[in-house]
Amino acid sequence: MALRAAFSKLTLQSSVRQISSTSISRLQVTPILCAEPLKKKKKLDPQIIKQREDRRKKKLEKQIRRLEKNARQLKPIEELEIPLTLLDEKDKRTRKLLPLSDKDLETRALLTKKWAKYKHQQKVSDFQTIDRLLQSQNKALDELRKESEELYQEAIQQDMALLPVTIKGPVATPPIKNYVSPDGDYIHENKKWD
Amino acid sequence: MYRKIVTNLVKFVPKRDANVIMRPMSAKSVESKSIENWDLYASVLVERLPIVSKSFNAIEREFQEQLWRVEFENSLQSDHELKHQQDLIQSELIKKGKMEVDLDDSASKQTAQDLKDAYSEELKSFQFALRSTADDATNKTNSTNRCLEDTLYLVVEESLSKQAVKMLPQGPRLDGETMRQAAERVLREKCGTQLEVTFYGNAPCGFYKYKYPKEVRKSSVGAKVFFYRASLHGGNVDTAIAKKFEWLTRPALEEQLQKSEYSESIQKFLL
Repeated sequence: MALRAAFSKLTLQSSVRQISSTSISRLQVTPILCAEPLKKKKKLDPQIIKQREDRRKKKLEKQIRRLEKNARQLKPIEELEIPLTLLDEKDKRTRKLLPLSDKDLETRALLTKKWAKYKHQQKVSDFQTIDRLLQSQNKALDELRKESEELYQEAIQQDMALLPVTIKGPVATPPIKNYVSPDGDYIHENKKWD
Repeated sequence: MYRKIVTNLVKFVPKRDANVIMRPMSAKSVESKSIENWDLYASVLVERLPIVSKSFNAIEREFQEQLWRVEFENSLQSDHELKHQQDLIQSELIKKGKMEVDLDDSASKQTAQDLKDAYSEELKSFQFALRSTADDATNKTNSTNRCLEDTLYLVVEESLSKQAVKMLPQGPRLDGETMRQAAERVLREKCGTQLEVTFYGNAPCGFYKYKYPKEVRKSSVGAKVFFYRASLHGGNVDTAIAKKFEWLTRPALEEQLQKSEYSESIQKFLL
């Protein structure tokens, strides 16, 4: 009976649409078995959260402070620092020499003057040589230009193959052929500065 | 300043000569063309740079000694010197009998003097290479292993008009070649491929021109030679290609070429 009544109600409803805002009147399609109780959200104590945040902040601040402190402090250069032992033993280590006589001082001063003059002359002759070489090159380029403009343009191009250049300078004694230099001890020392 | 002088020169030159004067390194092309026909030649100055440093002359040696003395006076005593002093004091005490000699200790102990002797012995046993070589003694001029203190320049002997002449390797430029390419090719052709050289840039470093004798002149009046500078790294001239060649120092080179225009134009760019 009840079913019938329901059906009759349905038919009635189809003709006269009922407007309702409650969910009960709607047709449920979701199988009820799929439902799951909602996970309970963990509620943290706001005080603890605040504490954590503070801790993180403090840590960062500390790091920044340390960096700033180190920025002012320069990396030590070992070669430039006088060893403490040398400072302590300075009196012991200074040579006990007789002071130079006036004659010695005089000869030294004279020799230094002579040396300065000698070096000056050397420099002047160097500049003269450079001038001579440049003159010679300019003359050659001018003559080349008179013959052919194209060849001249080729000649004044830069030679990119020249760089990078490695030059092994003159040494005191010539290298020994097939000489294998004995290996010394290698002490690897890399200090970390942060 | 150099530029200024050049531009000033151009200003004061009368107009009819204006096309003769050129401003170096300017990109503007030159209108005036030589009417005479010249052959273009490329030539290479191959130099072997010094291997050992120059010996000191009198003033250099004297000044070096002074510098060493001053440095010694300003220096502090080293650990080794201190140890040596202590050793001396100790031996003095032992001699006077104020200190007992510890036999076990003294046998194993090395004095500073002992160490110094050992070091000097080691240095003495090492044989340094000599600054003058065997080729110096025999005056073997076609070797690059001589006159280590000086720059050596390569000259080859060539027959010009049935006459053997010593000159820098030289040859004509072919069509389509730049002067630099011509110079590289000429060096390969005259001296072989074993010569390892580096050319210093694309620009010639020197110039020389000569006119042909009137009876052999054909289409061209003479030859213009452009010199390129190159430095030697290794290898030597291929003896199968160049029969006679020499590596000469500057004085020897000047002597070989004697007084001539050729020699003069080469001396302008020798170091």
